[in-house]
Amino acid sequence: MPGEGGVSLAGIEAEHRRRLRRGRMWTAAQFMAVSLVLAASVHLSGAADNAIDGGWGERVASFFDRLLPQLRGEALLADRMTPGSLASWFHDLPRWLEAMRVTIAMAFVGTVVGGVIAFVLAFFAASNLNRNKALRLLVRRGFDAARTIPDAILALIFASAFSIGAVAGVLTLIVATTGSLGKLFSEALENAQMQEVEAVRATGGNWLQEMRFGIVPQMLPQLLSYWLLRMEVNLSLAAALGVVGAGGIGIELQRAISFTEFDTYLAILLLIVGCISVLDTISEHLRHHLIGEGAH
Amino acid sequence: MVALRSVRLNDGAMMARAMMIAPEAIRLPLWLRLRGWLMAVLFAAVFLAACRELDVSLVVLGDGLGKLGKFVAAMWPPSDGGHALHLLYVVVQTLAMAVIGTSVATVLAVPVGMLAARNLVANPIIHFAIRRFLDLFRGVPVLVWALIMVAAFGLGPVPGILAIILTDIPRLGKLFAEAMENVDARQIASLRVTGAGRLAVLRFGTLPQMLPVWLSQCLYFLEQNFRAAAIVGVVGGGGIGFELQERIRIFAFDEVAFITLLYIVAVGVLDVASDALRARLT
Repeated sequence: MPGEGGVSLAGIEAEHRRRLRRGRMWTAAQFMAVSLVLAASVHLSGAADNAIDGGWGERVASFFDRLLPQLRGEALLADRMTPGSLASWFHDLPRWLEAMRVTIAMAFVGTVVGGVIAFVLAFFAASNLNRNKALRLLVRRGFDAARTIPDAILALIFASAFSIGAVAGVLTLIVATTGSLGKLFSEALENAQMQEVEAVRATGGNWLQEMRFGIVPQMLPQLLSYWLLRMEVNLSLAAALGVVGAGGIGIELQRAISFTEFDTYLAILLLIVGCISVLDTISEHLRHHLIGEGAH
Repeated sequence: MVALRSVRLNDGAMMARAMMIAPEAIRLPLWLRLRGWLMAVLFAAVFLAACRELDVSLVVLGDGLGKLGKFVAAMWPPSDGGHALHLLYVVVQTLAMAVIGTSVATVLAVPVGMLAARNLVANPIIHFAIRRFLDLFRGVPVLVWALIMVAAFGLGPVPGILAIILTDIPRLGKLFAEAMENVDARQIASLRVTGAGRLAVLRFGTLPQMLPVWLSQCLYFLEQNFRAAAIVGVVGGGGIGFELQERIRIFAFDEVAFITLLYIVAVGVLDVASDALRARLT
Protein backbone atom coordinates (compact mmCIF):
# COMPACT_ATOMS: atom_id res chain seq x y z
CA MET A 1 0.00 0.00 0.00
CA PRO A 2 2.57 2.66 1.00
CA GLY A 3 3.90 4.56 -1.95
CA GLU A 4 0.91 3.71 -4.12
CA GLY A 5 0.02 6.70 -6.29
CA GLY A 6 2.69 8.80 -4.56
CA VAL A 7 0.72 8.93 -1.29
CA SER A 8 2.39 7.62 1.85
CA LEU A 9 1.18 7.66 5.39
CA ALA A 10 4.22 9.72 6.40
CA GLY A 11 3.48 12.18 3.61
CA ILE A 12 -0.11 12.60 4.73
CA GLU A 13 1.00 13.13 8.30
CA ALA A 14 3.59 15.71 7.25
CA GLU A 15 0.99 17.53 5.18
CA HIS A 16 -1.42 17.46 8.11
CA ARG A 17 1.23 18.88 10.46
CA ARG A 18 2.07 21.57 7.94
CA ARG A 19 -1.58 22.57 7.67
CA LEU A 20 -2.00 22.55 11.42
CA ARG A 21 1.06 24.75 11.82
CA ARG A 22 -0.13 27.15 9.15
CA GLY A 23 -3.56 27.31 10.79
CA ARG A 24 -2.05 28.05 14.20
CA MET A 25 0.20 30.75 12.78
CA TRP A 26 -2.79 32.31 11.02
CA THR A 27 -4.77 32.28 14.26
CA ALA A 28 -1.83 33.81 16.16
CA ALA A 29 -1.46 36.52 13.51
CA GLN A 30 -5.16 37.37 13.70
CA PHE A 31 -4.99 37.41 17.48
CA MET A 32 -2.02 39.77 17.37
CA ALA A 33 -3.72 42.04 14.86
CA VAL A 34 -6.81 42.29 17.05
CA SER A 35 -4.69 42.95 20.15
CA LEU A 36 -2.79 45.65 18.30
CA VAL A 37 -6.02 47.35 17.22
CA LEU A 38 -7.34 47.16 20.78
CA ALA A 39 -4.15 48.52 22.32
CA ALA A 40 -4.08 51.36 19.80
CA SER A 41 -7.74 52.09 20.56
CA VAL A 42 -7.16 52.22 24.30
CA HIS A 43 -4.27 54.59 23.72
CA LEU A 44 -6.04 56.80 21.14
CA SER A 45 -9.32 57.10 22.98
CA GLY A 46 -7.54 58.46 26.05
CA ALA A 47 -9.35 55.83 28.12
CA ALA A 48 -6.11 54.79 29.80
CA ASP A 49 -5.36 58.29 31.16
CA ASN A 50 -8.79 58.41 32.68
CA ALA A 51 -8.56 54.96 34.23
CA ILE A 52 -5.33 55.63 36.09
CA ASP A 53 -6.62 58.27 38.51
CA GLY A 54 -7.78 55.39 40.64
CA GLY A 55 -10.66 54.66 42.95
CA TRP A 56 -12.78 52.95 40.28
CA GLY A 57 -14.21 50.47 42.74
CA GLU A 58 -15.17 53.28 45.06
CA ARG A 59 -16.69 55.38 42.29
CA VAL A 60 -18.76 52.49 40.97
CA ALA A 61 -19.94 51.65 44.50
CA SER A 62 -20.96 55.26 45.19
CA PHE A 63 -22.69 55.39 41.79
CA PHE A 64 -24.87 52.40 42.65
CA ASP A 65 -25.45 53.81 46.11
CA ARG A 66 -26.88 56.99 44.57
CA LEU A 67 -28.69 55.15 41.76
CA LEU A 68 -30.73 52.74 43.85
CA PRO A 69 -33.65 54.23 45.80
CA GLN A 70 -33.68 54.00 49.60
CA LEU A 71 -36.80 51.87 49.88
CA ARG A 72 -38.04 50.59 53.23
CA GLY A 73 -40.19 47.50 53.36
CA GLU A 74 -42.64 48.72 55.98
CA ALA A 75 -43.19 52.11 54.27
CA LEU A 76 -43.35 50.77 50.70
CA LEU A 77 -47.00 51.63 50.07
CA ALA A 78 -47.09 54.83 52.13
CA ASP A 79 -47.78 58.26 50.60
CA ARG A 80 -45.42 60.60 48.75
CA MET A 81 -44.18 62.39 51.86
CA THR A 82 -42.93 59.26 53.65
CA PRO A 83 -39.28 58.61 52.86
CA GLY A 84 -38.68 55.05 51.65
CA SER A 85 -42.05 54.59 49.93
CA LEU A 86 -42.54 53.78 46.27
CA ALA A 87 -44.59 56.97 45.92
CA SER A 88 -41.69 59.10 47.15
CA TRP A 89 -39.37 57.38 44.68
CA PHE A 90 -41.77 58.15 41.79
CA HIS A 91 -42.52 61.53 43.39
CA ASP A 92 -43.34 63.43 40.20
CA LEU A 93 -45.28 60.71 38.40
CA PRO A 94 -48.16 62.91 37.10
CA ARG A 95 -45.74 65.32 35.46
CA TRP A 96 -43.66 62.48 34.03
CA LEU A 97 -46.76 60.90 32.53
CA GLU A 98 -47.64 64.26 30.97
CA ALA A 99 -44.12 64.45 29.50
CA MET A 100 -44.40 60.84 28.33
CA ARG A 101 -47.59 61.77 26.47
CA VAL A 102 -45.68 64.51 24.64
CA THR A 103 -42.94 62.00 23.81
CA ILE A 104 -45.45 59.53 22.39
CA ALA A 105 -47.07 62.32 20.36
CA MET A 106 -43.61 63.31 19.04
CA ALA A 107 -42.88 59.74 18.01
CA PHE A 108 -46.28 59.36 16.33
CA VAL A 109 -46.19 62.63 14.36
CA GLY A 110 -42.54 62.12 13.42
CA THR A 111 -43.14 58.58 12.19
CA VAL A 112 -46.28 59.53 10.23
CA VAL A 113 -44.78 62.55 8.47
CA GLY A 114 -41.37 60.92 7.94
CA GLY A 115 -43.09 57.76 6.72
CA VAL A 116 -45.19 59.66 4.17
CA ILE A 117 -42.15 61.55 2.85
CA ALA A 118 -40.14 58.31 2.67
CA PHE A 119 -43.05 56.57 0.91
CA VAL A 120 -43.27 59.22 -1.81
CA LEU A 121 -39.50 59.50 -2.30
CA ALA A 122 -38.95 55.72 -2.30
CA PHE A 123 -40.71 55.48 -5.70
CA PHE A 124 -38.00 57.74 -7.13
CA ALA A 125 -35.20 55.78 -5.44
CA ALA A 126 -36.29 52.32 -6.70
CA SER A 127 -34.44 51.34 -9.87
CA ASN A 128 -37.37 49.38 -11.33
CA LEU A 129 -39.83 52.25 -10.99
CA ASN A 130 -37.67 55.25 -11.85
CA ARG A 131 -35.45 55.00 -14.91
CA ASN A 132 -33.90 58.45 -14.39
CA LYS A 133 -30.51 57.57 -12.94
CA ALA A 134 -29.49 61.08 -11.81
CA LEU A 135 -32.72 61.65 -9.87
CA ARG A 136 -32.49 58.15 -8.37
CA LEU A 137 -28.94 58.69 -7.11
CA LEU A 138 -29.84 62.12 -5.74
CA VAL A 139 -32.71 60.71 -3.67
CA ARG A 140 -30.58 57.79 -2.45
CA ARG A 141 -27.69 60.02 -1.36
CA GLY A 142 -30.24 62.15 0.46
CA PHE A 143 -31.45 59.07 2.36
CA ASP A 144 -27.83 58.13 3.18
CA ALA A 145 -27.00 61.60 4.50
CA ALA A 146 -30.16 61.71 6.62
CA ARG A 147 -29.19 58.38 8.18
CA THR A 148 -25.53 59.20 8.77
CA ILE A 149 -25.79 62.56 10.53
CA PRO A 150 -26.09 61.67 14.25
CA ASP A 151 -29.65 62.30 15.43
CA ALA A 152 -28.49 64.08 18.60
CA ILE A 153 -26.55 66.59 16.45
CA LEU A 154 -29.64 67.20 14.31
CA ALA A 155 -31.71 67.70 17.44
CA LEU A 156 -29.18 70.21 18.77
CA ILE A 157 -29.25 72.19 15.51
CA PHE A 158 -33.06 72.12 15.34
CA ALA A 159 -33.29 73.11 19.00
CA SER A 160 -31.15 76.19 18.39
CA ALA A 161 -33.28 77.16 15.36
CA PHE A 162 -36.78 76.31 16.65
CA SER A 163 -36.03 76.88 20.36
CA ILE A 164 -36.02 74.06 22.89
CA GLY A 165 -39.17 71.95 22.68
CA ALA A 166 -41.11 69.23 20.96
CA VAL A 167 -40.98 70.85 17.50
CA ALA A 168 -37.19 70.36 17.36
CA GLY A 169 -37.66 66.71 18.34
CA VAL A 170 -40.34 66.06 15.73
CA LEU A 171 -38.23 67.59 12.97
CA THR A 172 -35.27 65.42 13.99
CA LEU A 173 -37.47 62.33 13.97
CA ILE A 174 -38.86 63.28 10.54
CA VAL A 175 -35.36 63.54 9.05
CA ALA A 176 -34.11 60.33 10.68
CA THR A 177 -37.27 58.41 9.72
CA THR A 178 -37.17 59.63 6.12
CA GLY A 179 -33.59 58.39 5.85
CA SER A 180 -34.06 54.94 7.31
CA LEU A 181 -37.55 54.16 5.99
CA GLY A 182 -36.66 55.63 2.60
CA LYS A 183 -33.86 53.10 2.24
CA LEU A 184 -36.00 50.17 3.46
CA PHE A 185 -39.03 51.19 1.34
CA SER A 186 -37.04 51.63 -1.86
CA GLU A 187 -35.32 48.26 -1.37
CA ALA A 188 -38.71 46.63 -0.78
CA LEU A 189 -40.18 48.30 -3.89
CA GLU A 190 -37.30 46.96 -5.97
CA ASN A 191 -38.48 43.46 -5.10
CA ALA A 192 -42.05 44.17 -6.22
CA GLN A 193 -43.69 41.94 -8.83
CA MET A 194 -43.66 43.90 -12.09
CA GLN A 195 -46.35 41.80 -13.85
CA GLU A 196 -49.02 43.73 -12.00
CA VAL A 197 -47.59 47.04 -13.21
CA GLU A 198 -47.53 45.69 -16.76
CA ALA A 199 -51.13 44.56 -16.39
CA VAL A 200 -52.20 48.08 -15.40
CA ARG A 201 -50.13 49.54 -18.26
CA ALA A 202 -51.84 47.14 -20.70
CA THR A 203 -55.23 48.57 -19.74
CA GLY A 204 -53.90 52.04 -20.57
CA GLY A 205 -53.02 53.31 -17.10
CA ASN A 206 -50.54 56.16 -16.66
CA TRP A 207 -47.51 56.06 -14.31
CA LEU A 208 -49.52 57.21 -11.30
CA GLN A 209 -52.17 54.55 -11.89
CA GLU A 210 -49.50 51.90 -12.40
CA MET A 211 -48.09 52.75 -8.98
CA ARG A 212 -51.49 53.08 -7.30
CA PHE A 213 -53.00 49.85 -8.62
CA GLY A 214 -49.91 47.81 -9.55
CA ILE A 215 -47.43 48.49 -6.73
CA VAL A 216 -49.25 49.85 -3.68
CA PRO A 217 -51.69 46.94 -3.14
CA GLN A 218 -48.96 44.29 -3.16
CA MET A 219 -46.42 46.26 -1.11
CA LEU A 220 -48.59 48.00 1.49
CA PRO A 221 -48.58 45.29 4.21
CA GLN A 222 -44.78 45.00 4.13
CA LEU A 223 -44.25 48.77 4.13
CA LEU A 224 -46.71 49.24 6.98
CA SER A 225 -44.90 46.60 8.97
CA TYR A 226 -41.58 48.45 8.48
CA TRP A 227 -43.38 51.63 9.44
CA LEU A 228 -44.64 50.18 12.71
CA LEU A 229 -41.17 48.85 13.49
CA ARG A 230 -39.80 52.34 12.98
CA MET A 231 -42.49 53.67 15.29
CA GLU A 232 -41.00 51.53 18.06
CA VAL A 233 -37.50 52.85 17.34
CA ASN A 234 -38.76 56.43 17.21
CA LEU A 235 -40.48 56.13 20.56
CA SER A 236 -37.23 55.40 22.36
CA LEU A 237 -35.41 57.94 20.21
CA ALA A 238 -38.00 60.59 21.11
CA ALA A 239 -37.49 59.80 24.79
CA ALA A 240 -33.71 60.22 24.41
CA LEU A 241 -33.71 63.35 22.24
CA GLY A 242 -35.34 65.38 24.99
CA VAL A 243 -31.99 65.15 26.76
CA VAL A 244 -30.51 67.54 24.18
CA GLY A 245 -33.47 69.90 24.22
CA ALA A 246 -36.10 68.21 22.07
CA GLY A 247 -38.97 68.17 24.55
CA GLY A 248 -40.86 65.34 26.23
CA ILE A 249 -39.69 62.94 28.92
CA GLY A 250 -36.02 63.48 28.08
CA ILE A 251 -36.24 66.94 29.65
CA GLU A 252 -37.23 65.27 32.93
CA LEU A 253 -34.18 63.00 32.63
CA GLN A 254 -32.02 66.07 32.10
CA ARG A 255 -33.59 67.77 35.11
CA ALA A 256 -32.95 64.75 37.35
CA ILE A 257 -29.29 64.77 36.30
CA SER A 258 -28.89 68.50 36.89
CA PHE A 259 -30.10 67.92 40.48
CA THR A 260 -27.83 64.80 40.56
CA GLU A 261 -30.84 62.73 41.65
CA PHE A 262 -29.73 59.40 40.21
CA ASP A 263 -32.58 57.50 41.88
CA THR A 264 -35.10 59.81 40.18
CA TYR A 265 -33.27 59.17 36.91
CA LEU A 266 -33.69 55.43 37.43
CA ALA A 267 -37.41 55.92 38.20
CA ILE A 268 -37.97 57.87 34.95
CA LEU A 269 -35.90 55.35 33.02
CA LEU A 270 -38.06 52.50 34.37
CA LEU A 271 -41.19 54.46 33.40
CA ILE A 272 -39.87 54.95 29.85
CA VAL A 273 -38.88 51.31 29.54
CA GLY A 274 -42.30 50.21 30.80
CA CYS A 275 -44.21 52.46 28.39
CA ILE A 276 -42.04 51.36 25.49
CA SER A 277 -42.55 47.70 26.24
CA VAL A 278 -46.36 48.08 26.46
CA LEU A 279 -46.51 50.00 23.16
CA ASP A 280 -44.08 47.54 21.53
CA THR A 281 -46.38 44.66 22.43
CA ILE A 282 -49.33 46.43 20.79
CA SER A 283 -47.31 47.24 17.70
CA GLU A 284 -46.01 43.66 17.49
CA HIS A 285 -49.59 42.35 17.47
CA LEU A 286 -50.49 44.83 14.73
CA ARG A 287 -47.47 43.78 12.68
CA HIS A 288 -48.29 40.07 12.91
CA HIS A 289 -51.85 40.95 11.90
CA LEU A 290 -50.56 42.89 8.87
CA ILE A 291 -48.17 40.19 7.72
CA GLY A 292 -50.92 37.60 8.16
CA GLU A 293 -53.21 39.71 5.96
CA GLY A 294 -50.49 40.06 3.35
CA ALA A 295 -50.03 36.29 3.20
CA HIS A 296 -53.39 35.45 1.67
CA MET B 1 -64.71 46.42 -34.38
CA VAL B 2 -66.94 43.39 -34.58
CA ALA B 3 -65.10 41.75 -31.69
CA LEU B 4 -65.38 44.88 -29.57
CA ARG B 5 -69.09 45.17 -30.17
CA SER B 6 -69.67 41.54 -29.22
CA VAL B 7 -67.84 42.11 -25.91
CA ARG B 8 -69.96 45.17 -25.25
CA LEU B 9 -73.12 43.22 -26.01
CA ASN B 10 -72.13 40.64 -23.45
CA ASP B 11 -71.17 43.17 -20.76
CA GLY B 12 -74.34 42.76 -18.75
CA ALA B 13 -74.21 39.00 -18.79
CA MET B 14 -70.50 39.00 -17.86
CA MET B 15 -71.07 41.34 -14.95
CA ALA B 16 -73.88 39.19 -13.68
CA ARG B 17 -71.67 36.11 -13.87
CA ALA B 18 -68.80 37.93 -12.11
CA MET B 19 -71.16 39.11 -9.39
CA MET B 20 -72.18 35.50 -8.85
CA ILE B 21 -68.61 34.11 -8.77
CA ALA B 22 -66.81 36.82 -6.78
CA PRO B 23 -69.06 39.57 -5.46
CA GLU B 24 -66.18 41.21 -3.48
CA ALA B 25 -64.25 41.86 -6.69
CA ILE B 26 -67.10 43.91 -8.19
CA ARG B 27 -68.52 45.68 -5.18
CA LEU B 28 -67.01 45.83 -1.69
CA PRO B 29 -69.57 45.11 1.01
CA LEU B 30 -70.79 48.27 2.71
CA TRP B 31 -69.28 47.38 6.11
CA LEU B 32 -65.82 46.90 4.63
CA ARG B 33 -65.98 50.29 2.90
CA LEU B 34 -67.26 51.87 6.11
CA ARG B 35 -64.47 50.24 8.11
CA GLY B 36 -61.87 51.74 5.78
CA TRP B 37 -63.32 55.22 6.10
CA LEU B 38 -63.73 54.88 9.84
CA MET B 39 -60.10 53.90 10.27
CA ALA B 40 -58.96 56.83 8.14
CA VAL B 41 -61.01 59.29 10.19
CA LEU B 42 -59.77 57.77 13.45
CA PHE B 43 -56.17 57.99 12.26
CA ALA B 44 -56.58 61.63 11.26
CA ALA B 45 -58.14 62.44 14.64
CA VAL B 46 -55.25 60.82 16.53
CA PHE B 47 -52.75 62.64 14.33
CA LEU B 48 -54.38 66.02 14.91
CA ALA B 49 -54.58 65.40 18.67
CA ALA B 50 -50.87 64.52 18.69
CA CYS B 51 -50.05 67.71 16.77
CA ARG B 52 -51.98 69.75 19.32
CA GLU B 53 -49.99 68.09 22.09
CA LEU B 54 -46.80 69.38 20.48
CA ASP B 55 -47.86 73.04 20.21
CA VAL B 56 -46.87 73.26 16.56
CA SER B 57 -47.80 76.65 15.19
CA LEU B 58 -47.12 78.38 11.90
CA VAL B 59 -45.35 81.23 13.72
CA VAL B 60 -42.88 78.85 15.41
CA LEU B 61 -42.32 76.94 12.18
CA GLY B 62 -41.84 80.10 10.11
CA ASP B 63 -39.44 81.67 12.60
CA GLY B 64 -37.45 78.47 12.95
CA LEU B 65 -37.25 77.83 9.23
CA GLY B 66 -35.88 81.33 8.77
CA LYS B 67 -33.17 80.70 11.35
CA LEU B 68 -32.45 77.25 9.94
CA GLY B 69 -31.99 78.86 6.52
CA LYS B 70 -29.41 81.22 7.99
CA PHE B 71 -27.61 78.28 9.65
CA VAL B 72 -27.48 76.36 6.38
CA ALA B 73 -26.28 79.45 4.51
CA ALA B 74 -23.52 79.86 7.13
CA MET B 75 -22.39 76.28 6.47
CA TRP B 76 -20.90 77.21 3.11
CA PRO B 77 -17.97 77.16 2.64
CA PRO B 78 -17.07 74.53 5.26
CA SER B 79 -14.06 75.51 7.34
CA ASP B 80 -11.72 73.49 9.53
CA GLY B 81 -11.18 76.51 11.79
CA GLY B 82 -7.42 75.96 11.60
CA HIS B 83 -7.34 72.60 13.39
CA ALA B 84 -7.82 70.00 10.67
CA LEU B 85 -5.24 67.69 12.26
CA HIS B 86 -6.91 67.81 15.65
CA LEU B 87 -10.29 67.03 14.05
CA LEU B 88 -8.79 64.10 12.18
CA TYR B 89 -7.42 62.84 15.51
CA VAL B 90 -10.87 63.20 17.08
CA VAL B 91 -12.44 61.13 14.28
CA VAL B 92 -9.88 58.38 14.99
CA GLN B 93 -10.58 58.75 18.71
CA THR B 94 -14.30 58.29 18.04
CA LEU B 95 -13.53 55.12 16.09
CA ALA B 96 -11.30 53.93 18.95
CA MET B 97 -14.17 54.48 21.41
CA ALA B 98 -16.42 52.40 19.16
CA VAL B 99 -13.81 49.62 18.92
CA ILE B 100 -13.33 49.38 22.71
CA GLY B 101 -17.07 49.62 23.38
CA THR B 102 -17.86 46.90 20.84
CA SER B 103 -15.07 44.59 22.06
CA VAL B 104 -15.98 44.81 25.73
CA ALA B 105 -19.72 44.55 25.00
CA THR B 106 -19.33 41.47 22.77
CA VAL B 107 -17.23 39.73 25.41
CA LEU B 108 -19.60 40.59 28.26
CA ALA B 109 -22.66 39.69 26.18
CA VAL B 110 -21.51 36.08 25.70
CA PRO B 111 -22.21 34.93 29.28
CA VAL B 112 -25.42 37.00 29.29
CA GLY B 113 -26.50 35.33 26.06
CA MET B 114 -25.63 31.89 27.46
CA LEU B 115 -27.81 32.51 30.51
CA ALA B 116 -30.67 33.56 28.23
CA ALA B 117 -30.35 30.58 25.86
CA ARG B 118 -33.01 27.93 26.40
CA ASN B 119 -30.80 24.99 25.46
CA LEU B 120 -27.93 25.99 27.77
CA VAL B 121 -29.83 27.04 30.89
CA ALA B 122 -32.37 24.36 31.70
CA ASN B 123 -34.09 26.34 34.47
CA PRO B 124 -37.03 28.07 32.71
CA ILE B 125 -37.39 30.72 35.42
CA ILE B 126 -33.79 31.99 35.07
CA HIS B 127 -34.02 31.82 31.30
CA PHE B 128 -37.35 33.68 31.21
CA ALA B 129 -36.32 36.32 33.77
CA ILE B 130 -33.12 37.17 31.91
CA ARG B 131 -34.93 37.26 28.57
CA ARG B 132 -37.52 39.71 29.92
CA PHE B 133 -34.80 41.85 31.48
CA LEU B 134 -32.90 42.02 28.19
CA ASP B 135 -36.13 42.82 26.31
CA LEU B 136 -36.88 45.69 28.67
CA PHE B 137 -33.52 47.39 28.36
CA ARG B 138 -32.92 46.63 24.69
CA GLY B 139 -34.78 49.77 23.68
CA VAL B 140 -32.84 52.25 25.86
CA PRO B 141 -30.91 54.57 23.51
CA VAL B 142 -27.23 55.29 24.03
CA LEU B 143 -27.91 58.96 24.84
CA VAL B 144 -29.86 58.00 27.98
CA TRP B 145 -26.98 55.88 29.31
CA ALA B 146 -24.43 58.50 28.29
CA LEU B 147 -26.14 61.26 30.29
CA ILE B 148 -25.98 59.37 33.58
CA MET B 149 -22.51 57.92 32.94
CA VAL B 150 -21.13 61.43 32.36
CA ALA B 151 -22.84 62.65 35.53
CA ALA B 152 -21.37 59.77 37.53
CA PHE B 153 -17.87 59.43 36.04
CA GLY B 154 -17.09 62.89 34.63
CA LEU B 155 -16.50 64.19 31.11
CA GLY B 156 -14.40 62.32 28.56
CA PRO B 157 -14.33 59.19 26.47
CA VAL B 158 -14.59 56.66 29.35
CA PRO B 159 -18.23 57.41 30.28
CA GLY B 160 -18.99 57.44 26.54
CA ILE B 161 -17.51 53.97 26.17
CA LEU B 162 -19.41 52.77 29.26
CA ALA B 163 -22.64 54.07 27.72
CA ILE B 164 -21.95 52.16 24.49
CA ILE B 165 -21.28 48.98 26.48
CA LEU B 166 -24.49 49.35 28.52
CA THR B 167 -26.52 49.93 25.34
CA ASP B 168 -25.07 46.95 23.51
CA ILE B 169 -25.13 44.22 26.16
CA PRO B 170 -28.93 43.65 26.11
CA ARG B 171 -29.07 43.85 22.31
CA LEU B 172 -26.10 41.54 21.74
CA GLY B 173 -27.16 39.25 24.60
CA LYS B 174 -30.47 38.58 22.89
CA LEU B 175 -28.84 37.97 19.50
CA PHE B 176 -26.28 35.59 21.00
CA ALA B 177 -28.97 33.73 22.93
CA GLU B 178 -30.92 33.22 19.71
CA ALA B 179 -27.77 32.13 17.88
CA MET B 180 -27.04 29.59 20.61
CA GLU B 181 -30.59 28.28 20.51
CA ASN B 182 -30.22 27.76 16.77
CA VAL B 183 -27.06 25.67 17.13
CA ASP B 184 -27.46 22.33 15.36
CA ALA B 185 -28.20 19.81 18.12
CA ARG B 186 -27.00 16.82 16.05
CA GLN B 187 -23.38 18.01 16.10
CA ILE B 188 -23.55 18.33 19.88
CA ALA B 189 -25.12 14.89 20.17
CA SER B 190 -22.40 13.28 18.05
CA LEU B 191 -19.75 14.93 20.23
CA ARG B 192 -21.44 13.57 23.36
CA VAL B 193 -21.39 10.10 21.83
CA THR B 194 -17.59 10.29 21.62
CA GLY B 195 -17.52 10.94 25.38
CA ALA B 196 -16.77 14.66 25.28
CA GLY B 197 -17.32 16.60 28.51
CA ARG B 198 -19.40 19.79 28.88
CA LEU B 199 -16.47 22.08 28.15
CA ALA B 200 -15.35 20.07 25.13
CA VAL B 201 -18.90 20.16 23.73
CA LEU B 202 -18.93 23.94 24.14
CA ARG B 203 -15.50 24.29 22.50
CA PHE B 204 -15.94 21.89 19.57
CA GLY B 205 -19.72 21.77 19.16
CA THR B 206 -21.23 25.16 20.07
CA LEU B 207 -18.32 27.55 19.49
CA PRO B 208 -17.53 26.68 15.85
CA GLN B 209 -21.20 27.18 14.95
CA MET B 210 -21.43 30.38 16.97
CA LEU B 211 -18.23 32.06 15.86
CA PRO B 212 -19.25 33.28 12.37
CA VAL B 213 -22.52 34.73 13.70
CA TRP B 214 -20.66 36.29 16.60
CA LEU B 215 -17.98 37.89 14.42
CA SER B 216 -20.37 39.26 11.83
CA GLN B 217 -22.53 40.72 14.62
CA CYS B 218 -19.37 42.28 16.09
CA LEU B 219 -18.68 44.03 12.81
CA TYR B 220 -22.28 45.15 12.40
CA PHE B 221 -22.28 46.56 15.93
CA LEU B 222 -18.95 48.27 15.28
CA GLU B 223 -20.63 50.23 12.46
CA GLN B 224 -23.56 51.06 14.73
CA ASN B 225 -21.26 52.05 17.57
CA PHE B 226 -19.28 54.42 15.39
CA ARG B 227 -22.56 56.33 15.14
CA ALA B 228 -23.24 55.89 18.86
CA ALA B 229 -19.74 57.15 19.71
CA ALA B 230 -20.54 60.33 17.81
CA ILE B 231 -23.75 60.76 19.81
CA VAL B 232 -22.39 60.27 23.34
CA GLY B 233 -20.13 63.29 22.91
CA VAL B 234 -23.14 65.60 22.71
CA VAL B 235 -23.70 65.18 26.46
CA GLY B 236 -19.97 65.21 27.27
CA GLY B 237 -18.84 61.69 26.41
CA GLY B 238 -15.83 62.67 24.27
CA GLY B 239 -15.20 62.11 20.57
CA ILE B 240 -16.56 63.95 17.54
CA GLY B 241 -19.93 64.69 19.18
CA PHE B 242 -18.24 66.84 21.80
CA GLU B 243 -16.52 68.97 19.15
CA LEU B 244 -19.78 69.28 17.20
CA GLN B 245 -21.94 70.38 20.12
CA GLU B 246 -19.33 72.98 21.15
CA ARG B 247 -19.49 74.53 17.68
CA ILE B 248 -23.28 74.37 17.43
CA ARG B 249 -23.55 76.26 20.72
CA ILE B 250 -21.39 79.12 19.40
CA PHE B 251 -23.11 79.04 15.95
CA ALA B 252 -19.85 78.16 14.11
CA PHE B 253 -21.78 76.37 11.38
CA ASP B 254 -18.98 76.41 8.80
CA GLU B 255 -16.96 74.23 11.17
CA VAL B 256 -20.03 72.08 11.93
CA ALA B 257 -20.36 71.43 8.21
CA PHE B 258 -16.66 70.53 7.92
CA ILE B 259 -16.75 68.07 10.84
CA THR B 260 -20.00 66.51 9.62
CA LEU B 261 -18.57 65.97 6.13
CA LEU B 262 -15.40 64.48 7.65
CA TYR B 263 -17.53 62.18 9.76
CA ILE B 264 -19.75 61.10 6.83
CA VAL B 265 -16.63 60.16 4.85
CA ALA B 266 -15.28 58.20 7.84
CA VAL B 267 -18.59 56.33 8.22
CA GLY B 268 -18.50 55.46 4.52
CA VAL B 269 -14.92 54.15 4.76
CA LEU B 270 -15.73 52.04 7.83
CA ASP B 271 -18.87 50.61 6.19
CA VAL B 272 -16.94 49.59 3.07
CA ALA B 273 -14.12 48.05 5.13
CA SER B 274 -16.43 46.09 7.39
CA ASP B 275 -18.53 44.91 4.41
CA ALA B 276 -15.34 43.56 2.83
CA LEU B 277 -14.34 41.81 6.07
CA ARG B 278 -17.81 40.37 6.53
CA ALA B 279 -17.84 39.02 2.99
CA ARG B 280 -14.60 37.16 3.78
CA LEU B 281 -16.04 35.74 6.99
CA THR B 282 -19.14 34.20 5.48
